Amino acid sequence: MYAIPIVVGVLLLTFTLFVVVGGDISVEIAGRGATQQTIEEIRAEYGLNKPLFLSRDSQFVNHFKNALTFNFGRARDGELVFDKIKRGLWPSLALTVPIFLGVVIISVSLSLVIAFVRGTVWDIAAVVLCVAGMSIPYLSFILFGQYFLAYKWGLFPVFFSPDLSMAGNVALPVLIGIAAGLGGNVRFYRTVMLDEMGSDYVRTAFAKGLSRRRVLFKHVLKNAMVPIITRVVGAIPFLFLGSLLLERFFGIPGLGYLMVEAIGSRDYFVISAMTYISAILFVAFNLVMDICYLLVDPRIRLE
Amino acid sequence: MSQRIGIVSPVRNNTASHTLSRSQRISNGVSIVAVMALVIWGCGGSGPEGEPNEMVLHHILSARIRGLDPGQIRDVYSMMVAGQIFETLYDYHFLKRPYELIPLLAEDMPQVSEDGLVYSIRIKKGVRFQDDVCFSFDKLRMVSKVEPVGGKGRELKAEDFVFSIKRIANIKYLSPSWSLFDDRIVGLDEFREYTKAPDRNIRGEGEVDYSRAVEGLITSDDYTLVIKLKKPWPQMVASILADISTAPMAKEAVSYYGKDIVSHPVGTGPFKLNVWRRGSYIELVRNPTFRGELYPSEGEAGDAEAGYLEDAGKPIPFADRVVWTMIEERQPAWLLFLQGKVDATVVPKDNYGEVMMENGQLTDRMRQLNIQLKSFEDPSTYWLGFNMADDVVGRNKPLRLAINRAIDREKFIELFFNGRHLVAHGFIPPMMGCYNPQIKQKGYARYDPDEAKRLLKEAEGIYGEKIPTLKIAIPGVDTWARQYGQFLTRQLNAIGLEVELQYMDLPTYQQKVNNKSVQIFAGGVTANIPDELDFLSLFYSRYAAGGPNKFNYSNPEFDRLYEKVEVMRDCLERRELCRRMEVMVLEDCPAAFLNHRVADVLHHDWYKNYKPHSFAYGLSKYRRIDLSRRAAYKELLNASR
Amino acid sequence: MSEQSMKIEIDSRFSILDARRVSSIQYRVSSMVCFVVITAYFVLAGFIYVAEFFDLKIGPTLWPEQVGESYAPPSRENILGTDIFGQSVLRKTLYGAKISITVALCASLISIAIGVPVGAIGGYFRGFVDEIIVWIYSTLSSVPYILLILAFAVVLRERTVFGHKLTGITAVYLAIGLTSWVGICRLIRGEVIKHKDRDYILAAISYGCSRRRIIFRHILPNVIHLVIIDFSLRFVSFIHAEVILSFLGLGETDRPSWGAMINDARIELSRGVWWQMAAATAAIFVISLALNIFGDALRDSLDPKLRIL
Repeated sequence: MYAIPIVVGVLLLTFTLFVVVGGDISVEIAGRGATQQTIEEIRAEYGLNKPLFLSRDSQFVNHFKNALTFNFGRARDGELVFDKIKRGLWPSLALTVPIFLGVVIISVSLSLVIAFVRGTVWDIAAVVLCVAGMSIPYLSFILFGQYFLAYKWGLFPVFFSPDLSMAGNVALPVLIGIAAGLGGNVRFYRTVMLDEMGSDYVRTAFAKGLSRRRVLFKHVLKNAMVPIITRVVGAIPFLFLGSLLLERFFGIPGLGYLMVEAIGSRDYFVISAMTYISAILFVAFNLVMDICYLLVDPRIRLE
Repeated sequence: MSQRIGIVSPVRNNTASHTLSRSQRISNGVSIVAVMALVIWGCGGSGPEGEPNEMVLHHILSARIRGLDPGQIRDVYSMMVAGQIFETLYDYHFLKRPYELIPLLAEDMPQVSEDGLVYSIRIKKGVRFQDDVCFSFDKLRMVSKVEPVGGKGRELKAEDFVFSIKRIANIKYLSPSWSLFDDRIVGLDEFREYTKAPDRNIRGEGEVDYSRAVEGLITSDDYTLVIKLKKPWPQMVASILADISTAPMAKEAVSYYGKDIVSHPVGTGPFKLNVWRRGSYIELVRNPTFRGELYPSEGEAGDAEAGYLEDAGKPIPFADRVVWTMIEERQPAWLLFLQGKVDATVVPKDNYGEVMMENGQLTDRMRQLNIQLKSFEDPSTYWLGFNMADDVVGRNKPLRLAINRAIDREKFIELFFNGRHLVAHGFIPPMMGCYNPQIKQKGYARYDPDEAKRLLKEAEGIYGEKIPTLKIAIPGVDTWARQYGQFLTRQLNAIGLEVELQYMDLPTYQQKVNNKSVQIFAGGVTANIPDELDFLSLFYSRYAAGGPNKFNYSNPEFDRLYEKVEVMRDCLERRELCRRMEVMVLEDCPAAFLNHRVADVLHHDWYKNYKPHSFAYGLSKYRRIDLSRRAAYKELLNASR
Repeated sequence: MSEQSMKIEIDSRFSILDARRVSSIQYRVSSMVCFVVITAYFVLAGFIYVAEFFDLKIGPTLWPEQVGESYAPPSRENILGTDIFGQSVLRKTLYGAKISITVALCASLISIAIGVPVGAIGGYFRGFVDEIIVWIYSTLSSVPYILLILAFAVVLRERTVFGHKLTGITAVYLAIGLTSWVGICRLIRGEVIKHKDRDYILAAISYGCSRRRIIFRHILPNVIHLVIIDFSLRFVSFIHAEVILSFLGLGETDRPSWGAMINDARIELSRGVWWQMAAATAAIFVISLALNIFGDALRDSLDPKLRIL
């Protein structure tokens, strides 16, 4: 459906970014005091002296070809971008996937519980807690978590150590990630649940005399699946990006900082590679989402 | 209002419906998580377990290292790591002060001709490169596609030094170290021209013909290197022969690894690379084929009492492994140090209260943990520089003087450096030979806001109207940079100047400074060699475009004296001339010099032979760990909580 | 009244936890309180603008003044303590409202200004135009948010627009606005599609109403409540975005902002200075809570289908 145009669109976007940003690159790489000739040579090496669009050998065509063959080129420090991504992928996923699962399972469950007690003081308290959770900076969670849980009480390692297994190393960051992520998610799912609870069919179900638990799980949850799936499956493509702060503070050698650094140092190849990957994943998981919708609600047809 | 209905309906397994009950969902969730946990646990890579009696040094890097190719390294961190793998012809004596150069890969000090233009250096015999696959690789195997194994390190020859230098001269190699060699060695600049040659269609750096002779780099035999200079260069040994850029490179390694040479260093030093997990940690192990060296038996006065001569005469290196972990955030680095997982660290700016008391002594907590503090002066100067080519500040000396007077250095040091650094009254740090102890009396760094205001009025008279908003470029976007910027704003606003701060990352900053598109900029320099030239060269007009002279300062009288001093050996006359030059510059005020750094390093008491050294990098070979003390630390830490 | 009693009957069967149910009056009161709080923040921000314009030196505009020792803890003279330069944290926190409200407001306005018309046009006209619009926003969605913001901010940083140089923070508003229009666009588009086939629109078409009139006069007013709700909820996320961008070095540098105060905590906390972070966090918390509750209440009153209580 939209798969191919989106990927093309992303390539166009990254290409445009490069053209806008990229002029500086050859001068930067050449370093100070370089002659015009050196700069020209670098341009030739990076293919910058070819025409932008129109010829068969144009920059855009090359960009396209490279993307299709997963030839991501080399980063500024000489390492292959592909290797960088390969190296950082596993640690990032080991961090983000457990956090993701934990947050989804706990927040969906909690939101059902809150829907259970809607309108009561507990509900208001939950809203306040959620907002508090969302407002407390991620940084605070990390700083306090690291200081107390790891250093003061010695329950977890303070920092990444190659001697430990990956589980040992990510345990505390995962815990912190889940704690910090609950606030916003519970609030979102609560809204979704409550939206559904306000519907006529729910009122009917209650009027019919169904128990609250049954109404919640059998009817509300099922119907709320659509927005839940949208959010959950929609978040999956970005899991590979890792978590910036957690990785930095706990030394998890993942992809978290790769993107940020690449933008800061105008490392075009890295930026373009990661954007491209996320586009592909996004498109792929959109398809998954559509399939899930079909499974959950036969009324929805492919639009 | 609400009535209670008593019974909670029991959970029913709604097998009929296709949704799961809550408990089912939760148990599913838990099992998924559990399976994932097992998978992660099982698959996780575990690092090499150290033997209990293994001696491992642990350090911290607070930024990434760029690579381990000596010709490409110019940043401190890469030098710190690469310095353990590669050796140079000469190096600094570990203990002796004032700093003294001694032969390392050379047999003895060079023989210099009368006119100071020809240096003859004898290389030690029997030095081998570390064992590496590249030495067993040859063209035949390349054809037969057999994976090379083993590879015994070949012996070091004088030719290897020539190769390193030619490589740096190769323009396609884009070495940042070229400026050290520019216009120094006979025939080398011509070689560089050759590598530029457009008519020869040279594509990559590999296609340069390195066998092409350079007149000034000759190997009269396998173990003798002769260097011919264009003009006398008394600091040559320190500037290049002790610098990592002239570490010998094996041609085999370069041709085998190509671009990957940055992560496959092949050196002659006491350690070799074991694991480099980029952005995470780097680990070196003892080089089994290292030729061996002995710990120095002499030092300066006071070394014996300080315990630095305990290991005199013993074979080095002591350590089996050296590990650097990259930690960019302060909190985890500090906590790891306190836990004893890291041997040494610089005192983080915001932890001073925990570490030191007002009088500079260690706090009780630190003492309880037997942590040692070593403070030493860094040969560095930091400034707020003016772009002399700028219309507003460049032509208006009273304006520059006004700004100079408006900055309270002592407050600056108090706020940002816990009062530890030294006020820079001139730009030559106290460590240097020509340092003038009277410089403070001359009052160039005096804080006087009233005089600043008066000077500002004078400046406005020259400019013709009110001084426009001044732009200050600051290299950094983090909290520290912002606070620094705010400090400057407050100080300058107080005398009536408006400023606009421009925060930028380091590469952008360097680019702008080199392009002369800044007005005022915050910077600093640390000397690479124990000679004041590193500081004087900042004001030499020939170095203005893209060189160290970021101020675009030009003073013909200064230049004349510089050219004289450049070729002189250290002596009283030279020192006198240097002092005159310093005063000349201070009078013109191309910058407000702020502080000289003092470094405070903490290390645990089991980390032996740590003596601060301002210039040498390859010092891990001297360090020794007292294993029993380290093992006992954990109880000490628990006891002190 | 009978509806009221019916409500009670149904609900009373299920108050199993015997918790005190919040009455609708209490609910309304709390929503009004939230509205007042939100207004207070806006008024504060506006006040600071006015004060700066007229160069008045009162309260928050006096934030650069040194009122105490460097890093003095909260005390009677300085309720929230001081920062590294001895500046009042209270004043800085109040001043920070200006930055946060401005960022959030500008970003919201930009995203509404782009998202609503684009969504309406796509939803109404369908066909090729719609395909293009969906393509554009899908592409933008597929790119990680952080990358988009950073890239925009970096690229915009040095440009001049209409002769006015873009300073850091302006580029940030633009960047956030330009990347957030997608959500509102999707929403509006979906609603317009739904409404397009309704009877009242068919009637309007049949008596010859121009398309523009249909979109703007008939459909949009029926979907505008969604925009308002979305606005109130997004506002919070923009305030949080400012904090994140500060962390990445793109925030406001010269003046106090909540994001900067929190970012500074990274090094301050290790010397036990907690008051800057606490103050900024509290300020953000209060407005987030107010917006959340108010947003929910708005939803209740504007969308007849949904009744939470």
